[in-house]
Amino acid sequence: MVPKSWAGFCERLMLNAASGAGYRFEETSSRSLVDWRIGFAATAIIGVLMPFVLPQYSLTVLIEALIFGLLAMSLDLLVGYCRLYSFGHAAAYGLGAYSAALILTQLQLPLPAGIALAVLVTVVAAVPIAWICTRSTGVSFAMLTLAFAQLGYAMLFRFRDITGGSDGIVGIPRPAGPFGMSWFQGKTGYYYLVLGCLLGAYLLCRAIVRSPFGAVLAGIRENEAKTIALGYNTRAYKTATVVLAYGFGGLAGALYAAFAGFASPELFFWLVSGRVLIMVVVGGAGTLIGPILGGVFFVFLEHELSQVTDLWPLIFGSIFMAFVLFAPEGIWRLLTIRFKAVPDVPTADPSKKKSDAAA
Amino acid sequence: MPLLECKGLVRRFGALVALDAVDMSVDSGKIRAVIGPNGAGKSTMFNLITSVLRPTAGEVIFAGESITGLPVHAVAQKGIARTFQLCHIFPALTARENVRIAAQARDHRRWRFVAGADVLASSAVVADEALERLRLTRFTHVPAAFLSHGDQRLLEVAMALAQKPRLLMLDEPTQGLSLEETDRAVEILNDLLRDGNLSVLLVEHDMEVVFKLAHDITVLHRGRVIADGPPAAVRANAAVRSAYLGESE
Repeated sequence: MVPKSWAGFCERLMLNAASGAGYRFEETSSRSLVDWRIGFAATAIIGVLMPFVLPQYSLTVLIEALIFGLLAMSLDLLVGYCRLYSFGHAAAYGLGAYSAALILTQLQLPLPAGIALAVLVTVVAAVPIAWICTRSTGVSFAMLTLAFAQLGYAMLFRFRDITGGSDGIVGIPRPAGPFGMSWFQGKTGYYYLVLGCLLGAYLLCRAIVRSPFGAVLAGIRENEAKTIALGYNTRAYKTATVVLAYGFGGLAGALYAAFAGFASPELFFWLVSGRVLIMVVVGGAGTLIGPILGGVFFVFLEHELSQVTDLWPLIFGSIFMAFVLFAPEGIWRLLTIRFKAVPDVPTADPSKKKSDAAA
Repeated sequence: MPLLECKGLVRRFGALVALDAVDMSVDSGKIRAVIGPNGAGKSTMFNLITSVLRPTAGEVIFAGESITGLPVHAVAQKGIARTFQLCHIFPALTARENVRIAAQARDHRRWRFVAGADVLASSAVVADEALERLRLTRFTHVPAAFLSHGDQRLLEVAMALAQKPRLLMLDEPTQGLSLEETDRAVEILNDLLRDGNLSVLLVEHDMEVVFKLAHDITVLHRGRVIADGPPAAVRANAAVRSAYLGESE
């Protein structure tokens, strides 16, 4: 399986990454032998028990991991379901984080309302961005999304008075309420808030990709020209999906800002876009769960490795290349492939057989 | 009044005139075939009717209404379904999901992103019917990529059928099929087109197929209509015989 030449190696790397060999076989064609609700409930229970077994430091890492998992899952709506490769998903993250930072420092709103408003701001800002980016596909779509993220990054320095420039916004509070609720102010409570958001977002995304709307996205991914010829205004569907992805990405950003207590320009930087795209590909594009696992995996790996060596980005990159080359289907499909029933393909034409028998 | 009418369609690509003042119509419930050698402008005509290309001049009228210049998806929503010369399907999706997405296109609730179970169920019923009519039921749960080329072409016809079109446009449905596959496809298409009261515009290379299926035939040659009429008349037409059937007097 290993290509012989360096050129062949590079070619395979790019082809696998670009074509997303991972989602050749759709969920509909192979049925899971385990009911997803059991898996979901088990995951939720494990998630709830985590604070009782993990030390405080690890809980911090876990919160960050879940936030990145949420961000990666939101990007998966584009990459895995529409085959729209966004190289600027940091824009969603940054927009959510800065909106939350400004809302929570300037307005006297309770934390949940502040986060909800930040998501709303991100969604509204995403509409024109999505409308422009979906004019193109493929590499030009990637470049346009990257351009918007970099534009956001540059604007942080242009409008220093509001954004704090390179200092960012610090001292973001987590105001209590509504109804005197304050359980999310502590670290364990905040962990439960993030966990709840992630599980809820997952359920919502899962419902969306299995809905009539989601079926159209699969059509766009498989053959956009055909989907248009069938009578679907695919540009509108893609615009809606980009806005949805920004919404969930903005939620991740808002949760991060309120957790870290600050929002810095780094959140808007293209490095974040690249990292989260890698998480999606390594986790398994088009699975929703895979990118969450990819996010959690990389955040933990980074924390462990950065204590041992400065070379962890090298390891990060090597893992990415290894996955793209040898397991482009990603972590989640590697884990679950054994639990899938493979469909039989009938070859002979039964109507012919019948007529033969009759003769 | 014909269901579809092309009036003086012209399409130029630079200096090349692909279609030159073509008039053609499809009557309700009739099968119209368009034939002609390679480069005669058959595919260009298909693309002009479905709005993939804009005409340089002329008009396309569908059900008494001009559809010239509408977006491609809007033309489909008017009730025109087409298949492509190079098979266009959704390879990783099952045969049923391919056809179901086509059926869903005609449902005004196709946008639903939550609470869409009834949309999925009703379009699945339409899809299963279409698969049955094209005798593809055994592939219901098989990814389309696993089907043979012949079955993929039939699958695309099933998708077009599931759109419940007022006009069905088939672009060389037997292209690239083996002799045996062609016979089977023609038999299935024959049953389909004869028993339904479908209006069909058929582009086809294979003369036998055309004379078997069509009520009316338009012959294109270098972008112009050189003959128009029922199969027997076209077969006897001298201009057609010299231009297309390759016979010299």
